[in-house]
Amino acid sequence: MKLSVMLTQLTQGMFVSVEIFLLTLLFSLPLGLLVSFGRMSKNKVVSAIVKFYIAIMRGTPLMLQLIVVYFAPFYIFGVNLKGFRFPAIIIAFSVNYAAYFAEIYRGGIEAIPKGQYEAAQVLGYNKVQTFFRIIFPQVLRIITPSVTNETITLVKDTSLAFVLAQAEMFTIAKQIAAKEASVGPLMVAGLFYFVFNFVVAYVMDRIEKKLNYY
Amino acid sequence: MNEKPILELKNLRKSFGGNEVLKDISLTVNRGEVVSIIGPSGSGKSTALRCATLLETMEGGSLAYKGSVAASDEDGTMRYSDKQELKKIRRCFGLVFQNFNLFPHYSVLKNITEPVILSGQADKKEAEERGLKLLERLGLKDKADAYPSSLSGGQQQRVSIARALAMQPDILFFDEPTSALDPELTGEVLKVIKGLAAEHMTMVIVTHEMKFAREVSDRIIFMENGVIHSQGTPDELFNSDDERLNTFIGKLEN
Repeated sequence: MKLSVMLTQLTQGMFVSVEIFLLTLLFSLPLGLLVSFGRMSKNKVVSAIVKFYIAIMRGTPLMLQLIVVYFAPFYIFGVNLKGFRFPAIIIAFSVNYAAYFAEIYRGGIEAIPKGQYEAAQVLGYNKVQTFFRIIFPQVLRIITPSVTNETITLVKDTSLAFVLAQAEMFTIAKQIAAKEASVGPLMVAGLFYFVFNFVVAYVMDRIEKKLNYY
Repeated sequence: MNEKPILELKNLRKSFGGNEVLKDISLTVNRGEVVSIIGPSGSGKSTALRCATLLETMEGGSLAYKGSVAASDEDGTMRYSDKQELKKIRRCFGLVFQNFNLFPHYSVLKNITEPVILSGQADKKEAEERGLKLLERLGLKDKADAYPSSLSGGQQQRVSIARALAMQPDILFFDEPTSALDPELTGEVLKVIKGLAAEHMTMVIVTHEMKFAREVSDRIIFMENGVIHSQGTPDELFNSDDERLNTFIGKLEN
């Protein structure tokens, strides 16, 4: 196989990886905030359920979760998700990452001094205004380094989609490697992930600097 | 003068986990009055202030601003007014905290203007004019665009006073406004409060600064163990022959 053919195939795979990455962030970041609210809820039932959900998400392999999301509907309800492979992957990634992000949000929110809420209350801010104007912007600054960590992990975790035979970069690299009996394609894939993460780290660093204005 | 008292707090009771910190506190403040609350740590001064500013819930007694009832107990259960009413009542007072509680991610000016704008009192332009005027008065005009973290403690506390004043409250509460400051910075903050007193701003000040309380107050309240031990004009209190009061004042003056 010519190098150019291999690179083309790998690049196509990379686009799928990037797609998984971006869609997962898009859904898991807001979902994580909701989950963190549930986790901190004064309602004991809600917080217990959310705690259990987080425990499962963090306590079992993401690979297993991918398999469960894709195949469980068939084994339990007889519904075949064929053709919904990609959405299943996004769902599995999103609910998994939301659990991690939720705990990061919680750490950030709990780090804000009580006095900030009290000052806002006395000055007439309602609860929504207090959260989104006073608390959340400060939380963002606190959590950016942890979010960067998770985001970088996510780049590499997208390779787990190979377990559902999704044609992302790692799956393709493995196929070519097997066909050509060479580790070359896997090395190239490794380089792709590295460059991808280099860009992610750079972007996150810029965001961090931007948030450090005060 | 038939105006209702700005603040009317009656028979306030409050406990934390079985420990009764406020036993029976009543305090009426009329427009233009400056009242200082003094007393040893743990006497309940700050808790009383926090109940009056709705940061803590009362367990007994009643609270009203300008005749509007915020809370009252009926047959032993506390009833707070509805959200709308409480929102209206919160407009009556401002509070200056011991540790400022400025919003660190906002510039000095935005700290002052945003609450004004959100409350609907003024539009952005008007609020900024109001804010800049206050900053000028407090000697901080050049700090309008600075962030709180770049200011000294005294400057931060003056900003937080400006922030409270911008809302044009009927009464301003101070919760140990200089306790987090060194003596030099304390002076600049006390000067500002004295200036407000001279303009007959209605104020309730919890403080450990005896000399200041004596100079600035119309009335001083001495609290101990959750009750008002004694109260009166500064002269009455400082010339009292009550032994406990004298020990306390004497200790702090030296």
